[in-house]
Amino acid sequence: MSTVMPRSDYAREILHVYGIITWFTLGIAAIVGLALAWVLTRFRARPGTTAMPAQIRGHTLLEMAWTVGPALVLLGIAIPTIQAVFRTQAAPPKDALEVTVRGHQWWWEFQYPALQVATANELHVPAGRTVALTLEGPDVIHSFWVPRLGGKRDVVPGRLNRLTFTADTPGVYRGQCAEFCGVSHANMGMQVVVEAPDAFARWVAAQKAESPEPAAGPAAEGKAIFASRACVGCHTIRGVSSGPIGPDLTTFGSRQTIAAGILPNTIDNVTEWIKNPTAIKPDAKMPALGLTDQQARAVATYLAGLK
Amino acid sequence: MSARPGSHVLQVPPAALPRLTTTATLASWLTTVDHKRIGILYGATAFAFFLLGGIEALLIRLQLAVPENTVVSAHTYNALFTMHGTTMIFLAIMPFNAMFFNFVVPLLIGARDVAFPRLNALSYWIFLAGGLVLNASLLTGTPPDVGWFGYANLTSLHYSPGLNVDFWIFALQILGVSSVMSAINFIVTILNLRAPGMSMMRMPVFVWMTLVVQFLIALAFPPITVGLIFLMFDRFFGTHFYDVAAGADLHLWQHLFWIFGHPEVYILILPAFGIVSEVLPTFARKPLFGAPVMIYSGVLIGFFGFGVWSHHMFAAGMGPVADSAFSIATMLIAIPTGVKIFNWLATLWGGSIRTTTALHFAVGLVGLFTIGGLSGIMHSSPPVDLQQTDSYFVVAHLHYVLIGGSLFGIFAGIYYWWPKMTGRMIGEGLGRLNFWLMFVGFNLAFFPQHYLGAIGMPRRIYTYRADQGWTVANFASTIGAFGIALAVLVFAINAWRSLRRGDPAPADPWDGRTLEWRTSSPPPAHDFDVVPPVYGRDSFWREKYGPRRGPAPGGATAEHPDGGHAGIHLPAPSHWPLLIALGMLIVAVGGLTHVALVVVGALWTLYAIVRLALEHHRTPEHAEQRGVLGLDHRKVAMWVFLGSECFFFGTMIATFLAYKGRSVVGPAPHEIFNIPVTSLSTFDLLMSSLLMVLALAAIQRSDHRHTRLWLFGTAFFGLIFLGFQAFEFTDFVHRGFTMQRNLFGSTFFLLTGLHGTHVAIGVFWLLSLWVLSLRGRLGAVDAIKVEIAGLYWHFVDVVWIAIFTLVYLIP
Repeated sequence: MSTVMPRSDYAREILHVYGIITWFTLGIAAIVGLALAWVLTRFRARPGTTAMPAQIRGHTLLEMAWTVGPALVLLGIAIPTIQAVFRTQAAPPKDALEVTVRGHQWWWEFQYPALQVATANELHVPAGRTVALTLEGPDVIHSFWVPRLGGKRDVVPGRLNRLTFTADTPGVYRGQCAEFCGVSHANMGMQVVVEAPDAFARWVAAQKAESPEPAAGPAAEGKAIFASRACVGCHTIRGVSSGPIGPDLTTFGSRQTIAAGILPNTIDNVTEWIKNPTAIKPDAKMPALGLTDQQARAVATYLAGLK
Repeated sequence: MSARPGSHVLQVPPAALPRLTTTATLASWLTTVDHKRIGILYGATAFAFFLLGGIEALLIRLQLAVPENTVVSAHTYNALFTMHGTTMIFLAIMPFNAMFFNFVVPLLIGARDVAFPRLNALSYWIFLAGGLVLNASLLTGTPPDVGWFGYANLTSLHYSPGLNVDFWIFALQILGVSSVMSAINFIVTILNLRAPGMSMMRMPVFVWMTLVVQFLIALAFPPITVGLIFLMFDRFFGTHFYDVAAGADLHLWQHLFWIFGHPEVYILILPAFGIVSEVLPTFARKPLFGAPVMIYSGVLIGFFGFGVWSHHMFAAGMGPVADSAFSIATMLIAIPTGVKIFNWLATLWGGSIRTTTALHFAVGLVGLFTIGGLSGIMHSSPPVDLQQTDSYFVVAHLHYVLIGGSLFGIFAGIYYWWPKMTGRMIGEGLGRLNFWLMFVGFNLAFFPQHYLGAIGMPRRIYTYRADQGWTVANFASTIGAFGIALAVLVFAINAWRSLRRGDPAPADPWDGRTLEWRTSSPPPAHDFDVVPPVYGRDSFWREKYGPRRGPAPGGATAEHPDGGHAGIHLPAPSHWPLLIALGMLIVAVGGLTHVALVVVGALWTLYAIVRLALEHHRTPEHAEQRGVLGLDHRKVAMWVFLGSECFFFGTMIATFLAYKGRSVVGPAPHEIFNIPVTSLSTFDLLMSSLLMVLALAAIQRSDHRHTRLWLFGTAFFGLIFLGFQAFEFTDFVHRGFTMQRNLFGSTFFLLTGLHGTHVAIGVFWLLSLWVLSLRGRLGAVDAIKVEIAGLYWHFVDVVWIAIFTLVYLIP
């Protein structure tokens, strides 16, 4: 999640300004540090000295110099700053990929209105195409932050905030909520999968398709449990259920992580999660439904097959 | 007779006067009004809370030392960082600063105490009450857990249903009262109680920084007071200030909080800057380089500090124009701040530097604050800030300025003024160990956090995964934190040894430059046997080594008739400050438990306030309190208070206007207001001001019959106004328009209701004066009391004119 290994135009723009500022600040730090070390050594009172040093009260020219000097440095910082502010907050082009991001306690919902596709916690975007995020939230303030793709922007209920970027390199980039949002704020991670346009198109198609029938055995059993329990009240699996409250699970099996980026997506982890969500994510809104280990594992197996 | 507030006249030779001694009784500490004792109370209490906040920090660092740790739960962790931040800011740094304001500022300006010694004590006891309320939440298992800046709407009743946020609200409100009261006291003290010859520009820089800080407090606390009132009403009474569904804007909380919050950080750092500005010249044996510029830059920082608050909101989505404006303003503030660093370096340059412990800490501040200031420059650029804010980078920044800056400054002050405050020398050997442990521990704890932020670690997370690459830096940071703890332990040992068997301190152990070194260590109860002469800036140095300057042109003249040492007056102890604070504590407890206690506490507080107000009504020395400005202390105090009230009402009016048109349901203002009737009540209130003027004129010419007539008349007209308001409110409620109805209801009722409360307080005040007059106890000598009541009354009137215009009349 490094802020200094950019993989988008937005992140690179920021790093450029960061670099300018860093050079200036390192320079000032060096000057002040060296000056401090110098005066402390050179003007230390020798034992036995009683002579009073010259009682200099000031020096107008010097004081003006070290007022104007920093002001010029700040000018050198302000100009690229303001330029970057406007560039990074410019309206996105008309052909940008629009994604609506809704921050919940404690997971991320992603809707692609033009593509009629929805997912959760793992945002897929095509490389080389501008992505225009609209951030909204139904509960408290969160903050969308994927450092390698750019700066953060708050999700403020009642407002629509925007974040625009063009990712340049395929890869998987981690993000995390960056505004304290309650008990499990630390557990509100996400992944952004930047992929080549054709791979992205395939992912979209998989999201839109009805989920495949599971193989006979535990997976089929798992689907039966899912469909007959409270799961369907919260979760959407296209063709199976349309719960509006929790994350969309249509292609859950293809995700790398679960529970908003906090555990790898393995059948063991998913089983533990289903059995007792709050043990993994304190105060998670998903209730434990009292499934046995075998039942939970069956559901996990079913979900693993949803690609 | 001499003009000294509340005093016993002691007709004894100065040498025999009692010294400040630690063998005094508990009762004497509970009723003290002596600024030196109050300073020690602040310092000791601050240290206790500092240890508590430090333990909270150590638990945080233990939890983060390794990934997926289980030292504390998520719930506990979230409470820990909330309590740590709130405690360190409000219960540690601010009261440590208050220790110095109290003990040292009167000495530095050649005064014998502050302008209002009993209010000074009251400020302390109220502060203690606030600290107890906050920490009582630990005992109930419901500590606040929403972060020290508690963003709405996480703090709403829906998302934070327990008592946690309520404890936080009540504690902060109580602490705010303490701070603003103290601010008024010190502003009047610094302006009005300076010794003859002590013009403003001759005051030590620490006093100037104190003055700027007090103005910041007086003006910055009202916005957060209002923001917290909004939150309290949302949680307790169902208003909608932070209710998105009702049309509220969650940015409102952030603006109100940070309009306070940014000046607050200057409140935290400027005293440390002031201390460094005293310590460096003393131990370099030369004057502060560019003292006038240091003064002007402090004033500029204070002033512009009110214009940068939204640099805390760059991620909130204010838009590029607002982002740019606040970015530029923030960068501008760096200029006067940077000037100070260079002036301090120039102070050391060419000096003859004695490397005492105090000097170590002061130099430490210069270096560490530079680092903190530079990371602050990074934050001032919104694009960069959008990576760094809410990450460990900003945690590193804030600790560099608050520990490297404020805390190092405080320790410099402690070591510097320790001999003066305790009468003992404190060990230099242990002192240096203290410094180096703290310096190394601090840098180890916080420098790696810049790196953690740069590699993406968010703040306020109770744990992290092992594969993030954050482990080593976190572990190092934890070790550093324990290094700081060790340093504090060393300090405690050093302090204890000094108090038990430290060498007795001479009056002037450092060959000092300022007036506090001109009296014994510790000073006698009356501070100075003789009011010290003032020969210029660094007056005591000039007295010792020259050149001595004459009275400053246009400066303070001999307003202090007790220039000799006959008849020194000491303020009398009082138990009412403690009892008032206790009443406020009961109100807070009632707010958390049962409304009956609120009523009991409020009545108790009111009774105690009246007793405090009348305690010295007939004390001759209290009659005349004119100071250097030629104005009575109480008048200056009222003006400062009214300035604070401008910000209070201004915030509420601004909120009303900002929320105008955002209500989701009706009624709208034009559908419900009765302008003709309200015009009548406005006219009534305006006429009451006329009657108030007549009352003042009457008492000034000793016409007691008319004094009573016009006082009662003013109060009566005030009651008529309140009657109109009661009628209006009742009518609205019957028509279904309540403060819970919509945003307009919330903003309207709170604004006009709080204004009405001010009117009611005014009525009570005027009727009290009227009763005093009826009993023959309000003479011409008390005209000043009628005058300041009048100032208050006229102000409340003017506020109503603003409300009537902006709320009722403008469509």
